Amino acid sequence: MAITDLMDHLDLSFVPERKDPFKELLLKTRDKFGLDHVAYAGFNPISGTTHGHVTYDDRWTQHYASQGFFRIDPTLIEARRSVAPVDWSRLEHTANFKAVFRDAHDFGITDTGLTIPVRGPYGDIGGLSVTSELSQTEWGKLKRHIISDLQQAAANVHDLVMQANPLMQALTSPQLSTREVEILQWTAAGKSQQDIGDILSISHRTVEVHLRSSRQKLHALTTAQAVGRAIALGIVGPG
Amino acid sequence: MILVIDALNKHKFPHIMDEMFRLRARVFGDRMGWDVTIKNGMERDKFDDMDPSYAVGLDDEGRVVSCVRALQTTGPHMLADVFSAILNGEPPLRSATIWESTRFCVDTKRLGRGKGRSSVSYATCELMIASLEAAKEAGVTDIVTVIDPLMDRILKRSGNTPYGYVGKQADMGKVPALAALLDCTEERIARIRAFAEIHHDVFIAEDEILAAQNYQPAAQPARSSAKIIDLAGYCTEQIDAALTEKERGAALALQRVLFDKFHSTRACNA
Repeated sequence: MAITDLMDHLDLSFVPERKDPFKELLLKTRDKFGLDHVAYAGFNPISGTTHGHVTYDDRWTQHYASQGFFRIDPTLIEARRSVAPVDWSRLEHTANFKAVFRDAHDFGITDTGLTIPVRGPYGDIGGLSVTSELSQTEWGKLKRHIISDLQQAAANVHDLVMQANPLMQALTSPQLSTREVEILQWTAAGKSQQDIGDILSISHRTVEVHLRSSRQKLHALTTAQAVGRAIALGIVGPG
Repeated sequence: MILVIDALNKHKFPHIMDEMFRLRARVFGDRMGWDVTIKNGMERDKFDDMDPSYAVGLDDEGRVVSCVRALQTTGPHMLADVFSAILNGEPPLRSATIWESTRFCVDTKRLGRGKGRSSVSYATCELMIASLEAAKEAGVTDIVTVIDPLMDRILKRSGNTPYGYVGKQADMGKVPALAALLDCTEERIARIRAFAEIHHDVFIAEDEILAAQNYQPAAQPARSSAKIIDLAGYCTEQIDAALTEKERGAALALQRVLFDKFHSTRACNA
């Protein structure tokens, strides 16, 4: 399927008057990690739609859309085929790269940044791109510091955008394993990770990995939130 | 040395990719008898078409001696699909900071025993170090890896004991497979490095491989130690004579490749 064709839908959310419920999320992400800008673009194969949300100002997003950069932008097209986050310094300086970043520079946007590719279970793909005004050395330090949390944030943004589609939401109701439910149930009962490890005869890191997976599946930022949601969904009993 | 290949750079290494698929056919098809599809002597599955990331181990001559494949657990991956027997039909782990590692293998025919640079043990540890370091660099904190019981024993005796397992052991052909958990921490990496006595950077940049490939005809005379010494001088001359950055990069890469040769020669003599 030609993703570039579907990218035509991207500019829909760039219309400034349109209320963007995800912009707040990106602004929070930007502030939390000390970044310059945060942008998300993703493709939902179930609905055949492409979604874009950005913290850039309207002038740049309108220019970006009018120039059709979403068809050629290597931080979108190339980077999201990676498994690991792609620092933009890795991207080759092709004509497309230069076209996008020459204009971006005129709008005060740097080419210091990275894209985190996200893949969902139904062929849904997305990418969270972030930019920074720091020097390469400082950027390297910041990157190492935030990359793990940024990975989680990227997957959360992607899941939330995809879940906004009702059909997708129906398909992706949280599928927790017996082990994950068991550990959430013990957590609801007030047991610590160490306690649960002892009860189930597994390492506390194995407990932690199952909790992390449960948080992802329930789109929860904390374990407490995950327990709350699991109770609300009737997956576990209230302690 | 380990080269990381993914969707962004695989077009530059078609030969290495083919060699990797051939190694996988020999290991998983011929030796282990897993139920895998082999075409033209190469083992590939649908996950190879999903833009995975590979870590590929190359020997000093640039031949593929080991490989492993990584996929995100948020998207399609083997435990969610073909290895679901291991999970007893349960849904797999899903997290942005957990990667799945599959098809870990080493060329046991080409490599020898012991712990030297051209041993199975060295190649295995070098690849384990690279997988953990690449994941850590990407912000990934844990790896779930599908392995056979022999590999599980190898992990345990190389300072890389899994901290846990998910699901159960399930049959995959002649041998069973299981899913082990590894944390991508400094401590684990340090334990493997100490065991294998590998203290250098295990990665090689793609530019260096490409440069070295271009220089192969010149590198071939490096057989006897007398000629190696001549080549050392030749390298210096080439670096000095380089007119562009690219030429200089290529000359430096050649020097590095040959330097590895000096190392291996010394290690063998010792």
